[in-house]
Amino acid sequence: MTRYVAHRLLSLVPVAIGVTLVVFSLLHLTGDPIRLLFGLNVPEEIVQQRRDELGLNRPVAVQYARWLTRAVRGDLGESITTGDRVVAMIRPRLGPTLELTLLALLVTLVVSLPAGVISAVRRNTVLDSLSRLTALFWVSMPTFWLGLLFILVFGVMLGWLPISGRAEEFWSWEGVRSHILPVLTLGLPPAALFTRLTRSSMLEVIGEEYVRTAHSKGLAERTVIVKHALRNALIPILTLIGLRLPWLFGGAVITETVFAWPGMGRLLVDAVLKRDYPVVQGIVMAMALLVVASSLLIDLLYAYVDPRIRYQ
Amino acid sequence: MLLGAVLVAAVASAALFAGAVAPFDPAALDINAILSRPDLRHPFGTDELGRDIFSRALHGARYALLIGVAVVVIEGAIGVALGAAAAYFGGWMDALLMRVVDVMLAVPTLVLALAIAGVLGGGLGNMILAIGVTGWREFARLVRGQVLVIRSAAYVEAARAVGAGDLRVLGRHVLPNALGTVIVFTTLEMPAALLWAASLSFLGLGAQPPTPEWGAMVAEGRGFIGQAWWVSTFPGLAIMVTVLGFNFLGDGLRDLLDPRTARGF
Repeated sequence: MTRYVAHRLLSLVPVAIGVTLVVFSLLHLTGDPIRLLFGLNVPEEIVQQRRDELGLNRPVAVQYARWLTRAVRGDLGESITTGDRVVAMIRPRLGPTLELTLLALLVTLVVSLPAGVISAVRRNTVLDSLSRLTALFWVSMPTFWLGLLFILVFGVMLGWLPISGRAEEFWSWEGVRSHILPVLTLGLPPAALFTRLTRSSMLEVIGEEYVRTAHSKGLAERTVIVKHALRNALIPILTLIGLRLPWLFGGAVITETVFAWPGMGRLLVDAVLKRDYPVVQGIVMAMALLVVASSLLIDLLYAYVDPRIRYQ
Repeated sequence: MLLGAVLVAAVASAALFAGAVAPFDPAALDINAILSRPDLRHPFGTDELGRDIFSRALHGARYALLIGVAVVVIEGAIGVALGAAAAYFGGWMDALLMRVVDVMLAVPTLVLALAIAGVLGGGLGNMILAIGVTGWREFARLVRGQVLVIRSAAYVEAARAVGAGDLRVLGRHVLPNALGTVIVFTTLEMPAALLWAASLSFLGLGAQPPTPEWGAMVAEGRGFIGQAWWVSTFPGLAIMVTVLGFNFLGDGLRDLLDPRTARGF
């Protein structure tokens, strides 16, 4: 197990380095970071002066090394528009984004696991083909549009739920209410996809001999399905969760914008529109690291679900 | 699959004949019909400037398909070049590509495309470029897999035995055989490309108003959602129908290509 974890951790190093390269290159994409940072109307002397100050006259490799050492120490620079430290800007946004993405993932699983298992047990019924059709509908839905439809129906027409913002206190009536629509917007569309995967994964497992053995031991249908079949069917589902993680954060950017949710995604959109590049870099980096960390978590879950991985 | 073909054909004909079919000029303002409800004259209603949303949605089909195809072509070009080179030459090139793919897997495509589009300065062309250079991962993986198989085929050995160079073998013998799969795969990539593009436009980084692009139109209607539900709803519906069409089509094509997954999705 220790070897497995160590191996996983080591394999993350090149990915992390790659991510920092991508983020660093963002500013150098157009060739002139100074013009990008301070606009085109700045006089030439000032541009030169800033260039010296920021070390932009030195070789790119040196610049990267300098930027990286500061980034590792948690210094991602300052915002151009407000002058605040980027790390300090991101920190309060982290919680709301994690809250939104985790709850959405929970909704996805709570809806799709039972639906997928039922689809598999009752395969080739009307219910089953209906779920295939529904799945294609849901994956074709633009996130921002779904959010607006929710706002329209539950906020404007019915007046049941708040249409934007996040109540500070989570464990309160208002707090729960303000979470419902954003979480559903982010969590429901992938549920369709997960239902289909759970179904096919269950179908594969149900045909296995150990499931037959469990049946012939006289175990209750419920026990066989949940304890013997579902647990083994979980592995491809974990893989899909891992593959969908980047999508989850991408979806959070849109969901947060639609619902004025005070998370990293909205900060990113604001920063991009204000051309506040250090902030953009910081958030891209933070999101990539979150994805990397969560995929490590998934790898560890693999080992938990599948003992074969643990003892390899 | 048939339904998919019908939907895609409908969107394509909307794109082709928008000029002839649309009852109004998509840019024509009408101060007498601001935010008017859907009726016989304006089936989808009008927006805050009195423009006919039905006509704008029809013209939007042009933008959607054009953007989608452009994005997929860029993704395909990058993916084919990198995937083929990695698989054919193997060794460090392959290792490098796989590491790059790992990195692309870590950075959410939408987030990276958003950042790049922002750095490049927004607008339709920059948005297409930004999505194209971030979304090629699946293409590269697909082509790599294909080329790995084809590379060891007898006819490739034969070509090499008679003295054909690497480029000639790749261009004349390997890539043409991988092409069919790549072309089918473009259908599978269209939904993602369309959704990314619409999302970036919605966020204000793609097509700019007054362009009748669906994502931008949804964004414009956002402010009036309380008074005029139709302004955002219909362009969004157009996106969904188009993406759904490509999804149906791709789903069917995938079943044809690989009967093993036919029962899968």
